[in-house]
Amino acid sequence: MTSSPLRPTSAALPEGAGAPQPSTPAALFRVFTGVALSGVGGGLPAHTRRAVLAQGWMTDAQFAESYTLAQLTPGPNAVNLAAMIGAREAGGLGALAAVAGILCPGLIVMLGASALLVGVGLPPVLQSALRGAACAALAVLLTAAIPVVRVALRVRGGAVLSSLTFLALGALRLDLLPVFAALVGAGLILNRPRRVPPHD
Amino acid sequence: MTEPGSGPGFLTLLLEFARLGLISFGGANLAEIERVLVGTRHWITPATLANGFSLGQLMPGPNMLSVTHYGFAIDGWSGAAAATLGFYGPTALLSAAAALVWQRFSTHPWLVAFRDALLPFGAGVLLAGALVLAQTSIHSWAGAGLALAAFLILWRTRVNSVWVVLGAAVLGAVLGL
Repeated sequence: MTSSPLRPTSAALPEGAGAPQPSTPAALFRVFTGVALSGVGGGLPAHTRRAVLAQGWMTDAQFAESYTLAQLTPGPNAVNLAAMIGAREAGGLGALAAVAGILCPGLIVMLGASALLVGVGLPPVLQSALRGAACAALAVLLTAAIPVVRVALRVRGGAVLSSLTFLALGALRLDLLPVFAALVGAGLILNRPRRVPPHD
Repeated sequence: MTEPGSGPGFLTLLLEFARLGLISFGGANLAEIERVLVGTRHWITPATLANGFSLGQLMPGPNMLSVTHYGFAIDGWSGAAAATLGFYGPTALLSAAAALVWQRFSTHPWLVAFRDALLPFGAGVLLAGALVLAQTSIHSWAGAGLALAAFLILWRTRVNSVWVVLGAAVLGAVLGL
């Protein structure tokens, strides 16, 4: 924010030559609504990547960094990613617009379905259909876990810590917070910063 | 599920779903959602949990919109609003803040260590969720076979998962699961 003596600060200069498309909250809302609609049944990060690259908002490297970060913060990855890109592009209002955009279409459909199903109850055929869908939903969850597990296994102590987390939460049904404190704590100790040569 | 007005109240729901959102790593934390909503609080039945999860797979956008369904089942429209705001609001806020912090400190050694510590935990959370979903939604050999077939299709092909879930729904209706 230093003002060059040769260039008056009052001049409304563009962000730079070849600047990307402006990313206003309205544009963020529109783009992420489109992402949600094309991402029925998953693949949201891939759709997000294509959309923001097409808009010229981010480079591939910037997207990869945001995506990694979205997986690390708690909550649903696709929504986190929208919040992060929105915040980067247009601050708090941008984050709000992006999250609203990605939630809106599904929210409308889900509220309609809930209103129909919860009040009235299900005819047996639909109940059977949903049981079948639940079996496939389990498969969706498992395939989503594969890349996460693969990355986790590369981390120091990853296999042991993943297995212990699975046993503690899935089989023993322990309270999450103590498990989190113990196992993420152990992971921090195992992966603590060491003295390494500066060139990594 | 519950009579109007007999629900746990907007604020209680908002806080509970905010907690569930903030402790979901690597996506959904179905194990904890089941433990709290079905087990400890008795707000929804195992059938509602499984129904909502499959509905979530069919919705446009993030598949954890199933929390909206759970909120609706607990306390109607106000419950749906509380669940949605609570589950998505705080985590989105945290993510937006994290994005801005990360841009400045991404190479800090302790942040890298924290990332490495969090990754295996996230994997364990996802696998625990899969175990819980298997326990609540698979009651027969036909169901297990259907899940296995769906897994192989999703793993080995690039078919959109919506078609797999819809196909399984049709098969479920035909087989009378």
